[in-house]
Amino acid sequence: MDLLDFARGPAMQVAIYVFLTGSLWRLFGILLLQRKPDYSELRKTGKLRAALKVIWNRAFTAPEFRMATRYTRIVGYTLHFGLFVTVFLFVPHIVFFKGLIGIDWPGLPNNVIFFVGVITVGVGIAILIRRMTHPVLRLISNFDDYFSWFVTMLPVITGLIMPIRFGIRWETLLAIHILSVALLLIWLPFGKLAHVFLLIASRGTTGAIIERRGART
Amino acid sequence: MSSIDEITSPVPYVRGNVEPILHEVVHALDRLLKEQEPTIIDLASLPFAPGELETLESYLGSGELTAELEALGPSQIRETAYPGVWWLDHRNTDGEVVGRYLEITRIPEILMSQDADITAGRARLGENLEGFESGRSNGADA
Amino acid sequence: MKYTPSLGDILQARGVSRRGFLKYCAATTSLLALPPTMVPRIANALEQARRPSVIWLSFQECTGCTESLTRSSSPTLEGLIFDSISLDYHHTLQAASGEAAEAARHAAMEENMGNYLVLVDGSIPLGNPGFSTIAGISNYDMLMETVKGAAAVVAIGSCASFGGIPGADPNPTGAVSVKDLITDKPVINVPGCPPIPMVITAVLSQYLTFGQLPELDHLGRPVAFYGQTIHDRCYRRPFYEQGLFAETFDDEGARKGWCLFRLGCKGPITYNACATMKWNGGTSFPIEAGHPCLGCSEPGFWDKGGFYNPVSTTDIGSGVALAGAAAAGVAIGAAAAAMSRRRQKKTIQEG
Repeated sequence: MDLLDFARGPAMQVAIYVFLTGSLWRLFGILLLQRKPDYSELRKTGKLRAALKVIWNRAFTAPEFRMATRYTRIVGYTLHFGLFVTVFLFVPHIVFFKGLIGIDWPGLPNNVIFFVGVITVGVGIAILIRRMTHPVLRLISNFDDYFSWFVTMLPVITGLIMPIRFGIRWETLLAIHILSVALLLIWLPFGKLAHVFLLIASRGTTGAIIERRGART
Repeated sequence: MSSIDEITSPVPYVRGNVEPILHEVVHALDRLLKEQEPTIIDLASLPFAPGELETLESYLGSGELTAELEALGPSQIRETAYPGVWWLDHRNTDGEVVGRYLEITRIPEILMSQDADITAGRARLGENLEGFESGRSNGADA
Repeated sequence: MKYTPSLGDILQARGVSRRGFLKYCAATTSLLALPPTMVPRIANALEQARRPSVIWLSFQECTGCTESLTRSSSPTLEGLIFDSISLDYHHTLQAASGEAAEAARHAAMEENMGNYLVLVDGSIPLGNPGFSTIAGISNYDMLMETVKGAAAVVAIGSCASFGGIPGADPNPTGAVSVKDLITDKPVINVPGCPPIPMVITAVLSQYLTFGQLPELDHLGRPVAFYGQTIHDRCYRRPFYEQGLFAETFDDEGARKGWCLFRLGCKGPITYNACATMKWNGGTSFPIEAGHPCLGCSEPGFWDKGGFYNPVSTTDIGSGVALAGAAAAGVAIGAAAAAMSRRRQKKTIQEG
């Protein structure tokens, strides 16, 4: 079995199982925790509606904070948008997902994906530099922050190298790319990257709580 | 075009390979004129899309001179509509293509009579002449 | 010392003109994927080349490689390669059989000790010598005996190069490749299922012309023919780049000749000359005919997850296993939450 067979086969299988098990572990581990009893009076009743509303509107910075957060906001959105496009709108990836979940959707031309990928890496580096130079961020950043950055950027970088080659054989680059994705999948449920699914639970809970208290959602 | 042709002949990607080759031919012609250096392009080494080779051939067309060579199968050596640009088509005795070249030169080497053949032919002619001589001296009719 | 005619002598004796010889050299140069400027050098080398003795051994094979090769040429032009070699043993093609044939093989080996070429097609079963025998001799024994005095061994086809179809999972005969067994002689792998016939003749021509083995890659394949992937030379590559793919066979995209990546084409990971040299005398190749590349010149191509599964897919295992993993996740999560609740209760109790 060569490196590519290993990457496409056992490595990816283990990664998907760990991802599935880990994600459900964390999700249920949090959802099944004891809720703090609310001793105050119920102000408003639309908890579910508020939960859904907050899941949506927390994606947009409140007007009061827009100026102060503009760097993080612009860079963060660009990064997430770039990741979305490169991961979900590149046809070989779409084919990968179709093999997993059976759903298909149209993609974009390769050169568009490459262009967006380059921007994503650029923004990713900008984010890292900010984390390492900003006085507060530097103090509070831990292993999770840096390692999550690494496992997120590595697939993008290895994916960009594939069409460039640098003289390396394509199937070797593909194997490395797939292994980097396997690493991402294994780490994702256990660090801050779990926000990809925990986000919904946490925002929804916040929305329900503040709605109950009658605050603005 | 019949419907079968429509299915089996997708739109030829004309810009793909034909244009760069024509550019190469132009540069080769410059080299021929300035430095007297010929150029040979092996068309078998290039990945043509379906229809591209035919497009190239019809684009270059035919000129004043076409030579048919019969050696280990038929070959056609044809000057295209662009003087100095020759299209060589080599086939074996089954008619299968075994070589296709573009030669940018004053005359392809294979058209010229070869030393080994000239030597062998001269020897043959000499023998035949000796045969005439001995025939005459043997009293055969002049 | 026995007079061995050179190729030049043979051609002259057959009345082939110098022009004919030049045509042959041009075809050979093209075949060897060498630049046309090499023709004079090839002509010079071929004129003086001596006919090597060739012993062809067929083991666990389907005879496709021999078929491919004998289809490749008319007897007069590229087939000259076979006039230029002395094929002293080929148990499928030769007239003799049984003991007479084996005697011919031994005679050729003795006469040309140290100089003959051994061509092998088919894999060698190690599970049981009786799985594949010729004249009662097991493949393994025949191979080891015959290569003793060989100058080089050429493994023709994916079976001889990598184990091929007999070696595919679960490999019931214990099939191995030539390279697995021969470590003290140079081995050239010419894989493919079958290999492009012109590649086979070109490798032989190269040995005949230069008297040495071509440059080989890490899998022992001649770089001249196996140095590029199909993907890199495929005429449908622009469609790949533009994101235009055929989704099913004979759909609109397929009729327009779009890329076959989504239909499982292994072109990106397959090294062969199909996209440039093509098949049937340069007529076409699988992708041009509308079928995705199978990757037949790569090791283990039968076991790469399916011919119609794209290169970027993975096999995620059974639904039961996935359900089990999901259940395990929920269980661990529930257990973690239960532990947390118990601790909380304890803290409250302890005030």
